[in-house]
Amino acid sequence: MGVNYVPETLEEALLLRKAEKAVPLAGGTDIMVQHRRGLGLAPQPDFPVMIISGLNELRGIKKLDDGSVEIGALSTAAEIAASELVPWHVRKAASGMGAISLRNSATIGGNIGNGSPKGDLPQPLILLDAEVVLLSFDGERRMLLDEFIIGAKKTALRDDEIIKSVIIPPHEFTYSYYRKIGMRRANAISKLSLSAACTVKDGVISDFRASSGAAGPKVIRSREAESMITRKPVAELEDIVPDFLAAWDHAISPHAMPKYRRNTTARMLTEFLEAVINGAEPGIIGQEAL
Amino acid sequence: MPVNCIDDKVVRVDAEAKARGEAKYASDLSFPDMLYARLIRSDIPRGTIDEISVPELPEGYYFITAKDIPENGRNELWMIAKDWRCFADGDVRYVGETIGLLAGPDRNMLDYLESRIEIRYTEREAAITIDDALAVKGGPIVGEDNVLCSLFCEKGEKMQSIMDRADSVFTETLETGFQEHVHLETNGAVITMENGKYVIYISAQCPFYVRKSVAGLLGLTPEDIIVRQTTTGGAFGGKEHFPDVLAGPLLVAESVIRKPIKLIFTREEDMLFSVKRHPSKVTYRTALDKEGNILGIDGTIYYNCGAYLSSSYVVLQRGVFHANGVYDFPATYLKGVGVATNTFPSDAFRGFGAPQTLFAIETHLDHIARKFGFDPAEYKSRYFIKKDGETVTNGHIVEDVKLPEMMKKIADASDYFRKVKEYGIGSGKGIGMSFYNHGGAFTGNGEQAIIKAHARLVKTGDRVRIEVGSTEMGQGFQTSLRKIVANALNIDMDQVDYDNPDTSLVPDSGPTAASRSTMVVGKIAENCALEMKARWNEGDFSVEKEYEHPDGHPWDQATFRGDAYLGYGWGAACVEVDVDKVTNEVKTTGIWTCHDIGHAIDELIVHGQVNGGVIQSLGYASMEKMENRKGHFRQSSMSDYVIPTSMDFPHQEWFLVDNPYQWGPQGAKGMGELVFNGADAAYVDAVERALGITVTKIPIPPEDIEEALENA
Repeated sequence: MGVNYVPETLEEALLLRKAEKAVPLAGGTDIMVQHRRGLGLAPQPDFPVMIISGLNELRGIKKLDDGSVEIGALSTAAEIAASELVPWHVRKAASGMGAISLRNSATIGGNIGNGSPKGDLPQPLILLDAEVVLLSFDGERRMLLDEFIIGAKKTALRDDEIIKSVIIPPHEFTYSYYRKIGMRRANAISKLSLSAACTVKDGVISDFRASSGAAGPKVIRSREAESMITRKPVAELEDIVPDFLAAWDHAISPHAMPKYRRNTTARMLTEFLEAVINGAEPGIIGQEAL
Repeated sequence: MPVNCIDDKVVRVDAEAKARGEAKYASDLSFPDMLYARLIRSDIPRGTIDEISVPELPEGYYFITAKDIPENGRNELWMIAKDWRCFADGDVRYVGETIGLLAGPDRNMLDYLESRIEIRYTEREAAITIDDALAVKGGPIVGEDNVLCSLFCEKGEKMQSIMDRADSVFTETLETGFQEHVHLETNGAVITMENGKYVIYISAQCPFYVRKSVAGLLGLTPEDIIVRQTTTGGAFGGKEHFPDVLAGPLLVAESVIRKPIKLIFTREEDMLFSVKRHPSKVTYRTALDKEGNILGIDGTIYYNCGAYLSSSYVVLQRGVFHANGVYDFPATYLKGVGVATNTFPSDAFRGFGAPQTLFAIETHLDHIARKFGFDPAEYKSRYFIKKDGETVTNGHIVEDVKLPEMMKKIADASDYFRKVKEYGIGSGKGIGMSFYNHGGAFTGNGEQAIIKAHARLVKTGDRVRIEVGSTEMGQGFQTSLRKIVANALNIDMDQVDYDNPDTSLVPDSGPTAASRSTMVVGKIAENCALEMKARWNEGDFSVEKEYEHPDGHPWDQATFRGDAYLGYGWGAACVEVDVDKVTNEVKTTGIWTCHDIGHAIDELIVHGQVNGGVIQSLGYASMEKMENRKGHFRQSSMSDYVIPTSMDFPHQEWFLVDNPYQWGPQGAKGMGELVFNGADAAYVDAVERALGITVTKIPIPPEDIEEALENA
């Protein structure tokens, strides 16, 4: 049975983290649910917990000098969805996360730290090459979110570290795509999701990327498959699509409903790529902008 | 607001307290020295119990099992059948079967003790599906063949001779899955003693069922037990018989402990360890002539009843009696079989057996129509039953059937025929139509032979108190019954009282089920009110009356021949969809319904019932998937078993046709279940047309649509 702490400063939190291995709790929308014990009983995780929601150092969304956007770990889904600094893919995902009450308490730090392949925010963040800033008493380190999340519910977080923020590098996509298929139209966990983005310059695809959520043990990006498209002229894209789709299909590994998840992923990628091939108006493909 | 005109819309009498959070539910009750309870349940589907190892209990803690039932008591819950045991004893028959009840003052300690109880079993191979049961997997659960109940009914020429002369026979099997009630309030009860009597406070539809069901556990008579209904936050049939499963162990525990004991289910318990709608498998063999006209239908209907019969025989009867839909075919042979499996017993759920077969017949007829190139709605309309038409039980329809008018209403409002042409098959857009009915009140002779309902009105000064056992569970009955009585007495609704029933204070007006409350109890109360009005100046007095069966409804319960119901509610639904061919997500773009419920007692309540029933039916068709693997339900929360939100379905256009029912109060018929019975088939029809697929099983979430696309 764990002990609970409420650190008042970041320093205190880092000390607790180091000394007691206390697990940070902010919105509590995962930990409280995962460790529920029934009516009239407080959740009781078998590890110590520290409630960090009062640490203002971990709040806020700001633009950095290099054009990156830094999102503090305590930023809620509602704050992210409402911020014009945040890139479209991430805002879109944040705005469709759970119900309003959940969006008002669930934080980006928790959504990342939970490491679920069905999590709403990691999928677009990994598309955007977002980095996670990890803080410990001994200092700070940065790593790609894609490398931070190792597998289902597994991350590279050391037991003396906390997530400080997420940094999204700048980008200028010609085309963007985001789909989340939930079990219903609102307040639903992802059944499958996909983000894709593409930059076209002078008829050449200078950047192409995609990321699949809920299609394997973690969010899937295949640089190998992406590289089949990147730096190719749009005019050649049509011939590449079948091989690209095969490569992407090879990269994902859905466990349940594999046929649906594989076929739908292929159809979503096709929908996006066809728009690129057909020279669609730059912007959002497949659905309305925010 | 003083109201007494039946057609005035009123604010529901329970709305304010519920909206303000002031209503007291079972979980809000507290008594001095109250203990908390947890049910200890089987975690295997079938086997013998070798050993129950219980840790040493601290003082004031109890573990109650079948051994605590006194010698003159019987370990059975008397629902309709008596086969459901209060406590598993020696063997277990499904995951979640109650083995014991753990009680004590501290919930933390109970949690700890529960984790230390170990039960060792010798497991046996379980039968989970209808097919498992028919194959007698693991040996029979009941009898030799797992058949818990069966019946058939026959109309017209012998089926064999029809099949022999048919040009073709179209055979098809249609299936429906489990459905969880997801009532907003989970199951809960509190038991205590009052003046030497057992008193059960319980969230329940049928307080009189509870006391009848559990009294035998202690060798008592029902009158020895008082049941008080607590404000009930939704039920949908899930609190018709199931509260007995809480009340039984509580009563046995109370006989030992003699302190107040409270048992409230968590949502997870309510999902995993409560009754569900019967899964079904219906095979139709339809004899057709060259032009596609139906000569006769042979139907075999299997319902998965779970481990105990409970009310399944009656559910199956209703399923069989609705297996012909709203149609008059020259000949039918319908056979129903309820099978035993090692799943949680299936039980009442809005529609009570009718929705499964109505989905099956509607979808089957749609498929025949498309095969022969007819518009499904037009094809089905050729067979609409009419007044005096013969039912599948050789009875007759006694009321005007307004289906043609109802169909026209929704076809015009939705622009059905234009859209059918414009969308064609496989365009991604589709529109579908279904027709359905629901027999009002109890099946067969239940009302006059078994229930014999009573209602009483008590006049004190210028106030009138309604005394019935019927319950408010969110459907609006406390409002509509007040309205009926106030209207008959020509007094204001504000002068009429009607509290949650207490079985020691009110007469038994029968269960709040079967869409019978307004139609049957409302009529008795209206009759009481009419007499009271005539005697209004006599001072303070009361009037009690018994149900009077209307003449001219012959019924033979032994052979299932005659008028199975006193009257029917009728419905027609049209659903339009736009399917995303990339993701198989279905966007419902229009819903139009028309219902014949006799005459509406309150249009606002009716509107709520229509909206809710239709959306619940669309959830059943589209997303409500409850899977059972090796005896365990896989969905345990409201995030993995999803029900629709207001985002999932658009504004509904709804119509009523006025068709006053001769024997109902103010011309009203039952309607609570009717509105659930048919929109599912219209939805499936629309999705099939949009994608050019054939669906034979619901629900159809996107991944199941993928399967259907592969098979198309």
